[in-house]
Parts: sequence; C-alpha cells; structure tokens
Amino acid sequence: METVRIPEAHELAADDQKFCEATKAWFRIDFVPKMSRVLLAVPEFGRPYGGASRRAMADGALTRAQKELIAATVSAINVCEY
Amino acid sequence: MAAHTAAGKLQGLTDDQIWYEVAYVAGVTHALNTVADGLRLPLEFSGPSRTPAVRLPDPADSAPEVKAVFDEIMAFYSMDHPPAVFRWMARDAGFLQSYWAATREAFTDRKLPRPMKEILALAASLTAKSDYGVDFHLWQARRLGLSDQGLTEAVEVVQLFNTVTKIADALQLQPDLIPGA
Repeated sequence: METVRIPEAHELAADDQKFCEATKAWFRIDFVPKMSRVLLAVPEFGRPYGGASRRAMADGALTRAQKELIAATVSAINVCEY
Repeated sequence: MAAHTAAGKLQGLTDDQIWYEVAYVAGVTHALNTVADGLRLPLEFSGPSRTPAVRLPDPADSAPEVKAVFDEIMAFYSMDHPPAVFRWMARDAGFLQSYWAATREAFTDRKLPRPMKEILALAASLTAKSDYGVDFHLWQARRLGLSDQGLTEAVEVVQLFNTVTKIADALQLQPDLIPGA
C-alpha cells in the first residue's frame, strides 16, 4: 500500500503533459506509470531527474538494452518490487 | 524489478532466457560478495588489503581435485592465483566444486555475453556496496573490454536506478508496469 496519494496524470503541471504522453508511448501503455507521476509530483525535482535519466539511458558506449539489464540488476539487489 | 523487466522487453529483450541469466548473475555475485566481505577476505586487485576473519588455506597445500578446480578458475578469470572467496570454499572440496560449477555456468556466454555479465556483476556489487565485488568485477569487466566511457555509463545507470528504487521503496509503490502485460 502506497504511503502517499500519487497524483493523477491530469493533476500534473501542463508543462509535464508532453513528457507523460511520451512515457505512455514509449511503454506502449494507456496510463502514466506511478514512478513518472511520483517524480513529477515535485516538478523542480522530477524535471531535472527526468533529464538525467533520459541522458543516462541513451545509447552510448553501452546500448539502451544493456542499460535496462543493469537497471534490472540494481532493482534485484535492492529487492525493489516496483 | 517489474518495471525494468518490462522496459527491457520493450528494448527487444523478450527471451526469458536473458532474464534467467540476469537473475543467476545477480544471485551468484551477491552470494560470493556476501561471503567475501563478511569474512573480510583480501581484495584481489587493489590495496590496501584486509585482514581476513578466517584462515585461508594455502593453495599449495590443496588436494589434487581442489588444484584442478583452482586451475580452471584461474584460467576463467585470467588470474595467477585463485580468488580468495574460492580459496575459502576449498576447505570443503565438494562445496568448491559444486558452487564453482554453478558460478562458471552463470557467467558463461549464453544469450548474454560474458563481458556483459561482468558489467552486471559490477552493478550488483556497487549496489550492495561490496568492496570485494567492486574490486573483482571492475577488474574483470575492464579485462574483457569495458571502456572508460562504458564504465562511466554503467555507473551512471547504477546511480540513477539506485535513486528510483529507493524512492519506490520509500513510498511503497506497487508495480504497475508488468512485464508482458
């Protein structure tokens, strides 16, 4: 059970709606994931974090797919259900 | 975990065998790090070393069946001595033989190549704050071709996802991105 009320997508700032739509398109889903809404609950945090995340996950010396495997490993070691 | 697996599948990683291999590498790495750091076994490649909490058997005194395993391990890792964590296990030849066999298979080229598995082991070690694991897998990943830029990017991803996993845990987020859903 979440310890906070997570904002609905329509409650997020207008400036962040484009990012929400892009997230839905990327995941091929019809909702905005909780993590995106949590990060953008405080846009002053979520916007730069989102930028850092997009930068980190872009293809580089490691591919996006390889980076997703690293992310999954981090989650496994941290025993993160989400 | 569910979100990253779902995201990975969207990147074309749809074969479950890949995710089995990620899980095996994470599990074996975490187990070996737990023993090595728990017993304060000496780091393999960087100093200053640590004083072990236990006496490590001298490889020179090993029985032939243990020496055979040590030779295989040293060849696998391109090292001139058996890693301390396996020296510890050599107190029981059967344990060493069986766990090394599992470790070797977890890290062998299959759907995922060995260099990628060493990067994942490094990520697991960084996340667990394992001195032994970071020392060992950083050296191995570099040996197998991880560039400076690749290392920077791997650590960047580790840092980013240590952030979101802790945010998810702090707020007890329930998964909403289900792999394959």
